[in-house]
Amino acid sequence: MDNQLVPIVTVPEVATVVDIREEIADVRTFYFTFDRPEIERAFRIRSGQFIMCTVFGAGEFAVSLPFSPENDRKHISVRKVGKVTAALHELQPGDKIGIRGPFGNGFPFEEIKGKNVIYVAGGIGLIPLRSSIVHVLQHRPDFGRMILVYGARSSRDLMYKDSIREWQATRDFETHFTIDRPEPGWTGQVGFVNQLVAGLNLPAENTVAFVCGPPVMFNAVIKELKLKGIKEQDIYSTLERHMKCGIGKCQHCAIGRTLVCVDGPVYTYRQIKTLGEQI
Amino acid sequence: MYWLPRDQVRALVNRLAESYAVYGPRRDEVSGEVVFDRLEELERLDLQAAIPYNPPKHALLPQYEEILKYLYSKQSQKVTIEKISKVEPKALVGLRACDLNGILCLDRFFLGQEFVDEIYLEHRKKLFIISNTCVRPFPQCFCVCTDSGPAAGEGFDLDLTCAGQGYLVLVGSKKGQRLVEELGLREAGSEAQNLREKIVAESVSSFDNFALENKAWVSRATNRLTTGFIKPEVWEYIGNQCFECGACSFVCPTCSCFNVEDVNRVDGPTDRVRTWDSCSFEGYTKMAGDHNPRKPVEDRRNKRFFCKLSYSQSKKYLRPGCVGCGRCARVCPGDIGLPNVVTYIRREITGE
Repeated sequence: MDNQLVPIVTVPEVATVVDIREEIADVRTFYFTFDRPEIERAFRIRSGQFIMCTVFGAGEFAVSLPFSPENDRKHISVRKVGKVTAALHELQPGDKIGIRGPFGNGFPFEEIKGKNVIYVAGGIGLIPLRSSIVHVLQHRPDFGRMILVYGARSSRDLMYKDSIREWQATRDFETHFTIDRPEPGWTGQVGFVNQLVAGLNLPAENTVAFVCGPPVMFNAVIKELKLKGIKEQDIYSTLERHMKCGIGKCQHCAIGRTLVCVDGPVYTYRQIKTLGEQI
Repeated sequence: MYWLPRDQVRALVNRLAESYAVYGPRRDEVSGEVVFDRLEELERLDLQAAIPYNPPKHALLPQYEEILKYLYSKQSQKVTIEKISKVEPKALVGLRACDLNGILCLDRFFLGQEFVDEIYLEHRKKLFIISNTCVRPFPQCFCVCTDSGPAAGEGFDLDLTCAGQGYLVLVGSKKGQRLVEELGLREAGSEAQNLREKIVAESVSSFDNFALENKAWVSRATNRLTTGFIKPEVWEYIGNQCFECGACSFVCPTCSCFNVEDVNRVDGPTDRVRTWDSCSFEGYTKMAGDHNPRKPVEDRRNKRFFCKLSYSQSKKYLRPGCVGCGRCARVCPGDIGLPNVVTYIRREITGE
């Protein structure tokens, strides 16, 4: 199936924003459908891939895909952080956006079948991991333990609360939460994600971990996961870079000898270590 | 091999001008510099001129190029997107071997990786290339160190080597063969091949000492850059020298990083343009929200030379990323053109 993925390379395909959801402060989810039915039918992704999204009149930005490759509504979740994302946040349902992609390698799926899967996310780092979580849940019997370790600044900064509730309702989905400072009514942990990871009893054998969050959190979490005995080649992350083309030509996203848009955005920690650059 | 008498060069160019926009070296009246650009007046073509100030890459990757035009009406929710393809056929006449190798690097990068760059391809497939052997090197040149000159080996439609009152003409393609036949050029005779070899050998032997001394060190630098065994102090020194002006990238035949921006026009539609960019600029890697993974200038400098000489990058170009034209050394106000960087790496190795 994967070989039939034909990305939209040069001219963006027009899509309609059909629904907008307020997630947390400054982060909204935009559900979209392609205007051309044949594209709507043919558009396929792998979890972990990204698209280039055009906000007409403002520009284009790279954004990770939070939806599962199977049976999930197409959407992106975007923080208002720069010129183009601010323009995106101005959009109303019915407005048009342009899509190129999907680009990039994506998270492993077949290779990790039969293994325990740990997801560690910080803040909006849960957005790119969501795709893999939903996909693995759709094939739950093929995998071992599933554990989500999720931290944010405050309880108001936790993404996808509805999705998380659904996941918790399915069988065999462990969750652990933490927020930076105590809050009235909060029953989870208080502290940083790496501290939460340190205190958990996590499997190490036959286990892969997917980590996504701000660089400081990432490095601290990796340290803890390695102490737990998880191998560097079994720790995956998805990196973010300034991107202009998505097809390996503009070279803005170069890290070491690789380009995030074609060689990434998913890397193992072992690969990241050899790139010789900050993440 | 064929023979093109000097007084027939004009006929050749006129013939090309019937189907192509002709680009070539000419002397700029105001600055006195030799520039490689579109020849509005064909008689300005100067095949004897020194290596041009700029490489020919703008013929394939214009400094400012509109790639799409779109119009979005929020009222009617209608979007029209138009792909811009006003690419004209171009003949590049009198390319130096380094610059031709630069184009071959760009070809392999834009056409030979995971994705084909459709916009570059449009330009590339409409190109006619006539290379011109450097019968004597220019002071800035070190193509002998990077295996890219002084004579072209491949990639041309026709190749010229000046020999006395005319040019020896090598044919490199069917297009080239057709043109030679149309002009009625005569065969250059059995000694032509030897003559060309002799001219090239003489040119090689007259390269400056700095180029010849650097020859072995370029490959040592490649080794060091690839394995990462260069002390941070070397990059810090190079970083301190850098003005972050981007001139090296703009005059480099193989630098091809570009930016993409949507520019709103006053008359309504928006142009999507791609423009040259340079990894020496601080904003190059800066993301929305101000995180910049490559903020210190030495981290950015290090990347440029990694691109020019590392083995990993050579795998994309199928040759070193530097073609030895010496332009970066000529324009750099901080004196960190590529030959100097090789020298700094050499000093680190030998402890000079």
